Amino acid sequence: MASINLDNVGKVYPGGTRAVEGVNIDIADGEFIVLVGPSGCGKSTLLRMVAGLEEITEGEVRIGDRVVNRVEPAERDIAMVFQNYALYPHMSVRKNLEYGLKNRGTSRAEIDRRVAEAAEILQIGPYLDRKPRALSGGQRQRVAMGRAIVREPAAFLFDEPLSNLDAKLRVAMRLEIKELQKRLRTTSLYVTHDQLEAMTLADRLVVLNGGRVEQIGTPLEVYRKPASAFVASFIGSPAMNLIPASAVPHLPGTGHAGLIGIRPEDLHPAPDGQIELKIDAVEELGATRLVHGKVGAEMVTVTMPSDAELPETLRLDVAPGAVHLFRKDGGARLT
Amino acid sequence: MKRTIFSNQLLPWLLLAPQLAITFIFFIWPAMQAVWQSFLREDAFGIRSTFVGLDNYARLWGSAEYMNSMQVTLIFSVSVTLLSMGFSLLLAVAVDRTLRSSRLYTTLLVWPYAVAPAVAGILWWFIFNPTIGILPYMLDQIGYDWNHISNPNQAMLLVVIASAWKQISYNFLFFVAGLQSIPASLREAAAIDGAGPVKRFFTITFPLLSPTTFFLMVVNIVYAMFETFAVIDSTTEGGPAQATNILVYKVYFDGFVGQNMGSSGAQSVILMLIVIVLTVIQFRWVEKKVAY
Repeated sequence: MASINLDNVGKVYPGGTRAVEGVNIDIADGEFIVLVGPSGCGKSTLLRMVAGLEEITEGEVRIGDRVVNRVEPAERDIAMVFQNYALYPHMSVRKNLEYGLKNRGTSRAEIDRRVAEAAEILQIGPYLDRKPRALSGGQRQRVAMGRAIVREPAAFLFDEPLSNLDAKLRVAMRLEIKELQKRLRTTSLYVTHDQLEAMTLADRLVVLNGGRVEQIGTPLEVYRKPASAFVASFIGSPAMNLIPASAVPHLPGTGHAGLIGIRPEDLHPAPDGQIELKIDAVEELGATRLVHGKVGAEMVTVTMPSDAELPETLRLDVAPGAVHLFRKDGGARLT
Repeated sequence: MKRTIFSNQLLPWLLLAPQLAITFIFFIWPAMQAVWQSFLREDAFGIRSTFVGLDNYARLWGSAEYMNSMQVTLIFSVSVTLLSMGFSLLLAVAVDRTLRSSRLYTTLLVWPYAVAPAVAGILWWFIFNPTIGILPYMLDQIGYDWNHISNPNQAMLLVVIASAWKQISYNFLFFVAGLQSIPASLREAAAIDGAGPVKRFFTITFPLLSPTTFFLMVVNIVYAMFETFAVIDSTTEGGPAQATNILVYKVYFDGFVGQNMGSSGAQSVILMLIVIVLTVIQFRWVEKKVAY
């Protein structure tokens, strides 16, 4: 167990391409941190830099109290779960779990104890003597986690571990990972592009965009007070409506803002509402429905109960506290 | 695989006919002739031949010269296979590590494959020529006397090097393709699991390459036993003192130079059986051992 500190970390590839810039993150011992962002935002690169699979070209990474910039991956006391699981296909599940321990010269008795324990936790006991190709996606995922657990490392690193699973299994494994981490209290760094996965797993979220940190905070902080228009549009589903302030001139308190953001669930039908929505399309989700339409020339989405009546134009109201204001240039939050 | 049902019985046979005809004319027919010939003995002038049953085979069994050729072939094919595969694996691993300009290296390394075996033989013959060759000259500077015309071991070394060199390109291509099909994440996982580069290679990379390795082993042994004829013929002609007279060269020499068709036929039948057995054993073993 250990804390992880990223101090002004940056990555420039030999070709001159910049992947990561000026990242500062302090991860407390036992904390579950999720790095989230669109593809190409540098989140995987950042994780691989912590793992030691990518060279750190700027700044400093510390695991525990040790600067690990020049330390080999094997000596960083971390374990990693890969997107494609990276199980050794020519070894049985048991051998896969043992490999890292054998390389470190762990005693036979200790190896057996830890493998049995991991197999118990992950319920992979019956498959120990099978080869990975004889396992289903979910079972492979468990073995990959098992390989991390047996090492009893200072930190777990997850690189989109659930993205190869089908939707149902993904939700189930998400819960398992969360429970497992709660139980083991091992510091974890988790990369995903799925904002829902990020919201549900994280103690704190790190939202990345274009190689920079846009915001760090608990899931609810990030949801309620997005630090920029990018975070506002990325976190939350359906995405927050972002429209130029000029499109809704009657809305109070929006004076000097460039962009205003309103979540679809914060817009309510009201006979005297100041916003007029011309409905284009409706998506039924069962319990709720998404109503898409235009305010002036801007696309806006509203979440409504599925039993509400739908005229051709809706008058909508929004609570003052639910309006987010952003600068026009760069989209930084104003209030 | 998609299965096509022909309504006409004749059409599939017609479609197969060209391939079957080629196989029959150039493989089955000569093979049958060799088998038939191996039961005959011609008189000294090639006028009459008598049926002698298995006598040709019995004579080979008792022939010290033939046993020597067997031994030479064994040493030769194992050395060629090990040398060419070992060297090409080394080159392939090197190219796999260097991501940039690997295309250039690959192209350069593939060139020798375009050289005809006889030309390759001549090339090495010139390089190693005791009178005018550059290598004997350089070896002479450090006090080593190279003369493969009189020294059997040096002659063997020469044909092994020349034959292995020819095959390196081919092996190299397969090894590079094999290496590149191993996901990088496996090696990264092993690195995090505490395996150094050497351990990683022997516990992860090499086992995962084993299908490629076994395939190449079959191909290389067959190559060493048959296709090296031109290399031997253009360099040592089996000499000195039978030191490089491999089975396939002896078949040619006894038959077309020595005009002993019966014995030559028997030898080619044995050679054919050896390759069939080798291939069957290897593929059986490959299927059991290499699948993961």
